[in-house]
Amino acid sequence: MPRARKGALVKCDPSIKALIIQIDTNKNDIILEELDDTHLLVDPAKVEFIKSELNRLMAQNIYDPLDEEEES
Amino acid sequence: MSGAPFKATVNEYLEDLPPQVQSRLYTSPATCLAIYRLLPKLAKFFIMSMVFNESDVSLRDLDRWVQSTAKFQFNEAIKSMKSLHLLIEGHSGQPFMINLNSIFRSSFRNALTGGEVNNSFGNVVDDEHEVVLPEMLDQYAANKWESILHYMVGTPLTQTPSRNVLSLLQHSKLMEENGTGELQITNEGFQFLLQDANAQIWTLLLQYLRLAETLQMDPVDVLNFIFMLGALELGKAYNDSHLSDTQKVMLQDMRDYGLVFQKASNSTKFYPTRLAAMLTSDSMSIRSASSAMNSVLTQGTASNTKTDEPPAAKDDADQDPGQVGTTAQIIPDGAVILETNFKIYSYSNSPLQIAILSLFVHLKARFTNMVTGQITRDSVRRALLNGITADQIIAYMETHAHPQMRRLAEQTLDKKIELDPNCKEGLQILPPTVVDQIKLWQLELDRILSYDGYLFTDFDNSQEYSMLSNYASDIGVLLWKDDKKRRFFVSQEGNAQVIDYAKRKLKKK
Repeated sequence: MPRARKGALVKCDPSIKALIIQIDTNKNDIILEELDDTHLLVDPAKVEFIKSELNRLMAQNIYDPLDEEEES
Repeated sequence: MSGAPFKATVNEYLEDLPPQVQSRLYTSPATCLAIYRLLPKLAKFFIMSMVFNESDVSLRDLDRWVQSTAKFQFNEAIKSMKSLHLLIEGHSGQPFMINLNSIFRSSFRNALTGGEVNNSFGNVVDDEHEVVLPEMLDQYAANKWESILHYMVGTPLTQTPSRNVLSLLQHSKLMEENGTGELQITNEGFQFLLQDANAQIWTLLLQYLRLAETLQMDPVDVLNFIFMLGALELGKAYNDSHLSDTQKVMLQDMRDYGLVFQKASNSTKFYPTRLAAMLTSDSMSIRSASSAMNSVLTQGTASNTKTDEPPAAKDDADQDPGQVGTTAQIIPDGAVILETNFKIYSYSNSPLQIAILSLFVHLKARFTNMVTGQITRDSVRRALLNGITADQIIAYMETHAHPQMRRLAEQTLDKKIELDPNCKEGLQILPPTVVDQIKLWQLELDRILSYDGYLFTDFDNSQEYSMLSNYASDIGVLLWKDDKKRRFFVSQEGNAQVIDYAKRKLKKK
């Protein structure tokens, strides 16, 4: 008998998927299921949290010309 | 450049009116003259040829006037006249015989030859003691209009526009309330800011017309008043005694937009401003709101300039590409130079221009005639989060690009074509690196897409799986599927339908 499971489908590129998995390693409460390279089933309540975490992680990798100027 | 919500021009609004309303509109000579001014050039020509000619005209005769290369313009002209019901079937009823709308014809004749104009051009009051100078009117109009635009870009202001203006801005979705109850500029609002002043006024007035309909105001009264304003003379006082009650209410609103000036709110006299005179003028060369305002301001303040000249005339001069850059005066206000290192320089000291820039630029320093800043990930993200799109930012910088940048781009393109005659590249006014990066920053914002819904798993056999997944994709709710592992994902909305279907089908077995 088929089963329907509530969740949020997240579509992203593999690199972002890796980041989400990394975010999930702390508590293991975000990802419900890994579907394929570009799709994940996650807890719908955590979608906003994922987005903000991703922003934070990606901001670390951005070169900001203003920072440098203000330091020098 | 402008988005879909602003495509609606006044012509389109007029075309959408029912024929009865149009006929009532055409009884006013001032309105007929204004509509005539809004028509395409060829249509004007045809109307002129028919206005003093009672008998039917053959469409083929009109066609013969037009060169075969201009068929498109001909069809446009005929279409615009037909949709306004200015052109009607001839009296004889024969095919291809046409005539001018008789109401329009007689009103338009009156407008041209000065017959019974029924006060539709306003009543001039001569009062030697209370002369209002055009300079003062310009100042007033610029003040009112700029304060609306300023309010939209969110410059900290001492004066907020009146409640009427705010509700109109909200009604037209140029601004919307955010969580804390404050008004915030929307995506449409930003597009609005990028338009020229004439288009902006019309956008607001069209919204006003829509609002007026819900308030049971007669659109004929409203339109007549707007068109009358366009025909009034700057610096003259007009009496409001012949206005209908609806129009008197409108007068108050128009005062808030800076289209007319009154010394006191209960005064019976009103003075149209340059913004009103611009309404039906067909010179569209005013580039942007702030530059138009600036030219109004400089004309108003400089004592030796000819104040009778419409603001458009000044802007005509500064667009001559051969001369630009040689003298400082003819560089359009707000000209933007964008470097490949994301630094941006804008030659402007209009607070409005600067405020618009600050929507997406990290501004660093301000000098007497220019501001400098830098486009950063944060500044662009802030703009993107406010609903402004990357394309809008790029379009804005492109239209405001400094003539030097344009020339440089042309030179580069010429060189490229010299090297490779088949080069298909277009003119790249802005450095491509910056353009691409802004687009990338936008893409970065939606790195993940999420959909709420249900994952269907644990199918007993592939038949069951394909039956349900096909059904889901047929009704368009299937978001993802994996045929090998026999699972698929449907959207929240479609879930109930799929489950119903599953129950029906699976029970039968």
